[in-house]
Amino acid sequence: MKHYNNNGINILLEKMPKTPRMSVSFFFKVNKKEKYYGINSLLARLLLQGTKKYSANELALAFENECIDITTKAKQDYIKLSLVFLNEDFNQAMELVKDLILNSTFDDFEKEIFKIKGEIISDLDNPKMKLTDTFVKSIFKEHPYSSTHTKILEDLDKIKKEDIIEAHQELFKTFKSIVVVGDYENDEKMIEFFTTNFDFMKSFETNDEIKDIQNNKTEDEIIKITKNDAQQAQIIQGWLVDSFNSELSAKYALLNNILGSSGLSSRLFVNLRDKQGLAYTVRSQYETLLHGAIFNMYIGTAPINIKKSLEGFKLELEKLAQTPPSEEEMQGAKENIQGRLKYFTQNNSQIAAVDGYNFMMGLGLDYNEKFMEEIRQTSAQDVSEMAKKLLNLPKLIAIIAPQEFLDKI
Amino acid sequence: MSEVIKKENVEYPYLEKPLSVYTLKNGHSVIFAYKKSPMINISSWTKTGSINENKENNGVSHFVEHLLFKGTTKYSAGVFDKTMERLGGIINAATWKDYTFYYINIPKEHYKIALEMHADMMVDALFPSEEIGPEFDPNGASPKEKRERYVVIEEIRMGEDNNWRKVYKNLNNSMYENHPYKREVIGTKEIIANISQKEIERYYKTFYTPQNITTIVVGEFDEDEMLDLVQKNFIFKDNSNIEKCKTDVFEMEKSIKNPTTTIDYAEVNTGYLMMGALCDSAKNLKETIALDLISTILGDGKSSRLYSELIENSKNPHYYQLESCHYQFKDGDNFLIEANFDADKKDVVIEELKTQLDNLNKINETELEKAKKRAKVNFAQESEMVSDIADAIGYWMSVCEDITLANKYLDTLNEIDCKYLEEIAKKYLSKEKLSISLLLPKGEN
Repeated sequence: MKHYNNNGINILLEKMPKTPRMSVSFFFKVNKKEKYYGINSLLARLLLQGTKKYSANELALAFENECIDITTKAKQDYIKLSLVFLNEDFNQAMELVKDLILNSTFDDFEKEIFKIKGEIISDLDNPKMKLTDTFVKSIFKEHPYSSTHTKILEDLDKIKKEDIIEAHQELFKTFKSIVVVGDYENDEKMIEFFTTNFDFMKSFETNDEIKDIQNNKTEDEIIKITKNDAQQAQIIQGWLVDSFNSELSAKYALLNNILGSSGLSSRLFVNLRDKQGLAYTVRSQYETLLHGAIFNMYIGTAPINIKKSLEGFKLELEKLAQTPPSEEEMQGAKENIQGRLKYFTQNNSQIAAVDGYNFMMGLGLDYNEKFMEEIRQTSAQDVSEMAKKLLNLPKLIAIIAPQEFLDKI
Repeated sequence: MSEVIKKENVEYPYLEKPLSVYTLKNGHSVIFAYKKSPMINISSWTKTGSINENKENNGVSHFVEHLLFKGTTKYSAGVFDKTMERLGGIINAATWKDYTFYYINIPKEHYKIALEMHADMMVDALFPSEEIGPEFDPNGASPKEKRERYVVIEEIRMGEDNNWRKVYKNLNNSMYENHPYKREVIGTKEIIANISQKEIERYYKTFYTPQNITTIVVGEFDEDEMLDLVQKNFIFKDNSNIEKCKTDVFEMEKSIKNPTTTIDYAEVNTGYLMMGALCDSAKNLKETIALDLISTILGDGKSSRLYSELIENSKNPHYYQLESCHYQFKDGDNFLIEANFDADKKDVVIEELKTQLDNLNKINETELEKAKKRAKVNFAQESEMVSDIADAIGYWMSVCEDITLANKYLDTLNEIDCKYLEEIAKKYLSKEKLSISLLLPKGEN
């Protein structure tokens, strides 16, 4: 992947010969707290709901008649428009996306509010979604990252069309990038095309008003959610930890891999699932964001096994804290991380997503190599230290289960 | 070592080279596909799933899938998982109505050990009793030894908390009269808790035969060397003298004999609906493609009829999710409409969806062209990653039992016109031919 900055426009290009579908993404940095939770999500949706030239229906038809797949997403740190299309449809795809970035009318504001409300209520029918929602909003508290379904639901009726228009204007004042991966003719023509036609994608360096998350937690907290007809109890146990901009990141990544994210051979999988039959799904996760990260463990288990599962989480961390993993296990974890990186960067849209994200977060286009070097330099003792650190940090536990089982915890 | 009795080069859409399709003397099918990639995908597809089960052993196909990871003569339980994942591999398996498949995605330099261990697992699974776990009463006290038997029961429990799965289970059960597709692939807690090790072994020996398995390798590799590795490592045991598993006697059901409406209740805030129809076999290529196209026109994307007419342009919208889909099976496809909606509007929803089915008597050229392009692009999409290519080949070999159909797809697609789509819609999707399954909030009428 190469980075060009022409007239202030960041263009990232990777030529992939003999691939029939091209991927183009437009990233916009988010560096202000939303006035109300949900504004950015609503903006991302409304970008597909009509422009001065096309109604929402006409826009959908224009994209779908040519199989130009477009998705718009509002994430914690950025808003992204991603397109995937056959190479020959490049010009049409770019014309359409330019129109919706510049000329969206947001006329479907009321209708979209109705739709998003319904979808959230429906999503929250899913116990895992309800659990995750509760966990995320509780761990991030008042930080902008706590913008979950239920928080959005609380704020939706306060949002006005003017708020969306204001958020839309912010897109043009922020740091941006265009990422192109596919079988195009050459970099020069691509740069000329975007410089001429997408001058509004010029980047601006602005102060990031969103602060890094401070972990002020002083004691463990358990949140219980009642769902009396649930067949399984679901548990998330997690901590606020350092993110990718910290030297601890590679160490957490390796702890995560060994503990519960390498697949069928992770310690949680082998010891809680294979040996004790406690779960079908059990895993750990290290989710990194610009201003903080979460390390967590998850299990779906029979409600009677809640206590046993929590003890299992603790025991696996204690084992790692007391005895560093063997060199063989460390080497395997490092290879596993490398293999997963290769697996998840196979097609053009995956490459655009990963490299575009690294660039937007200020990590650089060689971040994957640098990260792998840090992984290689990490010792078994480092991993053990991270396990100790987690054991000493106050944790948040969220559990959804029938009331009678929650009462026993 | 089984020798090659036939080799064919088969053209495949969007791949740089034709597939190499080998048939070995023992009946084992082997397919190689070239794709430039840092990863290699190795998989074996067994033509068995719930189609070969009866009411006594329902769920055994899926249980066997779990147990294939539990050790062979050469490698004890966990060694395969650990070895593959410590080399950067992603491994897993899946069971469906017509097939069960096992796969490894791994950086290409590790192809030898991956192929060797994959073959070992396929031909020499041991099913150790200590890994299966003791039989127990699922309605009684929790057993002391909770091993893989209990893991599967947890998977069943997890499914019971999934609203869409509840709706699908009831619909699927109501669509068939006698066919084994009627049953859930995962089985029941009672059967999994009690099925014997002997029955599990018998099932494996009956269906994991070379004639029933296709091994697929996708990536960049030396074909001669890979073929040699396959021949040397897939040494199947002779199980011809065993007492084979009994399967149900059944006929294909191409339409629902008694379409019904099933209503279930749960702690939910919205309504869930599935409408389903039975159709001809996926092997009927022209009809299957026609149903793919109808599904795109009716309910795929924001420009589809369902979304644009009932959500985008509705003055009084009450849907949160609405789409159609088409599942292909050897013994007859399923065409489904799925809706998540304001539960108070249940009756209106059913009527509106029936009207949409009636309206399939008129399909226009613009809709047809859009759907055709989508079908072509789907092929392009499936050629992007080694795992997607392997999955598509596995489908053609296991469900359609004919890899050459893949390349006939695009030509057959071009033959289809609006009139044909209208005829297929009338043949399979008339409103009186569909069963309905609803999941509503408790207390709703």
